[in-house]
Amino acid sequence: MYLIKKSDVLNLAKELSKEYQVFGPVIQKETGQTFFDKVEDVSEISLSAPIPSVPPKHAVFPQLETIMKYKYSGESRKAEIETVFDTSSKALFGLRACDLTGLQCLDRFFMGQEFVDEVYVNHRKRMFIVTNTCNVPFKNCFCVCTDSGPAAEEGYDLNLTDLGDHYLVEAGSEKGKAFAEKLSLEAANDSHLKQKKEVVDKSIASFETFATDSKAWISRVMNRVTTGFIKEDVWNYIGDQCFECGACTFVCPSCSCFNIVDVANGETSHDRLRTWDSCSYEGYSRMAGGHNPRKPVEDRRNKRFFCKLSYSQMKKYLRPGCVGCGRCDWVCPGDIGLPNVVTYIRREITE
Amino acid sequence: MGDFKIVTVPEVATIDEIRDEIKDVKTFYLSFENKALDSQFKIKSGQFIMLTVFGAGEAAFSLPPSPENDRFHITVRTVGKVSAALHALKVGDKVGIRGPFGNGFPFEEIKGKNIIYVAGGIGLIPLRSSIVHVLQHKQDFGRVAVCLGARTPEDHMYKENLKEWQSGVPGFECHLTVDIGVPGWTGEVGFVHTLLNKVDIPMDNTVAFVCGPPVMFNTVIKELMGRGLSDENIISTLERHMKCGIGKCQHCAIGRTLVCTDGPVYTYRQIKTLGEQI
Repeated sequence: MYLIKKSDVLNLAKELSKEYQVFGPVIQKETGQTFFDKVEDVSEISLSAPIPSVPPKHAVFPQLETIMKYKYSGESRKAEIETVFDTSSKALFGLRACDLTGLQCLDRFFMGQEFVDEVYVNHRKRMFIVTNTCNVPFKNCFCVCTDSGPAAEEGYDLNLTDLGDHYLVEAGSEKGKAFAEKLSLEAANDSHLKQKKEVVDKSIASFETFATDSKAWISRVMNRVTTGFIKEDVWNYIGDQCFECGACTFVCPSCSCFNIVDVANGETSHDRLRTWDSCSYEGYSRMAGGHNPRKPVEDRRNKRFFCKLSYSQMKKYLRPGCVGCGRCDWVCPGDIGLPNVVTYIRREITE
Repeated sequence: MGDFKIVTVPEVATIDEIRDEIKDVKTFYLSFENKALDSQFKIKSGQFIMLTVFGAGEAAFSLPPSPENDRFHITVRTVGKVSAALHALKVGDKVGIRGPFGNGFPFEEIKGKNIIYVAGGIGLIPLRSSIVHVLQHKQDFGRVAVCLGARTPEDHMYKENLKEWQSGVPGFECHLTVDIGVPGWTGEVGFVHTLLNKVDIPMDNTVAFVCGPPVMFNTVIKELMGRGLSDENIISTLERHMKCGIGKCQHCAIGRTLVCTDGPVYTYRQIKTLGEQI
């Protein structure tokens, strides 16, 4: 444990930028929105910025990326295949606990199943992670209901907590410890940990009542979604409100469905692209020939909530797929973000 | 698991031979450019591969060859972008292969049992692998009946195999039917489930393999269960839109399972609990 003066905290990012491509929360001047993105100049980073509009999943799972290139022509009948992996070293600086949890979901899903996703591993394996304890929850936040915040508990290299004029710096890995030692920071003691606890408690206490009221309901709803004891009417109601825009899946820190397409890049060259996809799109399950087993929208909506909330899906992430960041609630034009879905199901249970 | 698989980067293979099966359906015999792979690349009956047609894309195709003593091939109907591009290729052209993926048929568990195969149209493609395998190992299984339905007589595929299957191998029978009879057709006319009337195999020590379009599937299931076959003894292989084959893209999700890694072979008991259309 170490301490660093608030005015010096970005020196950590500066130090990281010598070895890593640094990503951090930056407030965009034109819109006032926060984006978690690559920074050229670490002084742009704002640790007190509101929750970023999109999670940092694009650092490990870009919205569009080339994973392979090949050349083939009918005349030469010679195929040349070249894989494209992102081998840059990235540091995520000022990550929130919810987004770290989302990243852990992706880690377990892409690297911990029967097959390891090589494209993902290459993005991920040289990464340095600095989390930042959330001392101010935002309007849509409900990480207290999904056990993913407001303070990160594991999975970071360094964790920062704002203690007023200083940041408490905790190392969560050997890599983080070695990095902090190198900077000869001031040592912290148990009194600082106590201060951290006060910050976290205060943060939890200031969550919107809807979030804290929902706490018990999330697990109850998970049980319902798993066992399937939810009336068709509820799914129909949710389906009726869905615009099929895919925004919820794009802003979700743990959603990772992708599509793969080969596109021409010159006369005989093609790029194999991997792009984000969404289970709310009608063509998601449509097969060649047109048979589509998941046609009605309520059927597809039902599947996203099943994926986030059912026990059987938890084996992918070793926790619920929802991390309580509230972004789906924020972006959904049809008012069926996950917290609202929990509310609809809760109404059905209580009525 | 532990078996050799081409996971991420496709390996280049050559089309050695192309055969016309039926209208819009061709069989492509393939061998790897890297000859060392031909011996490493071992399939299980019921698995599938991801095939790249350069310039068109990648898609999943089921594997009709038996795991042993059978030339590696795929049989494909032209229905979409990749299959149409594949049909346009000629002998000597190259394709890319990843796999083999999926669980495969449970041969160990069904040893000693009678087997009834019911296939509608090109539903025979994945079942061919199993039928050829079972015929090669006839001593390990009980009586075997193959019931095949097709729209017209010309739509019955794998003509060479059919000849062998109908040649009166002891304990092995093969029945054909067509939806639409034509002059010269002396066989059965009617949907494939009606062929079960000709099958005289007791249901108590029997498994059925069923593959075909959803409408046919449902009728056949009803018929089999009506004859006393239990749902765990009905085995099918499912088809889904797939992009990766390795359990990551999630396109093939059915209920809590992914067809690419948990399937494509399911028992009807499992299918019933998936909570989705098949």
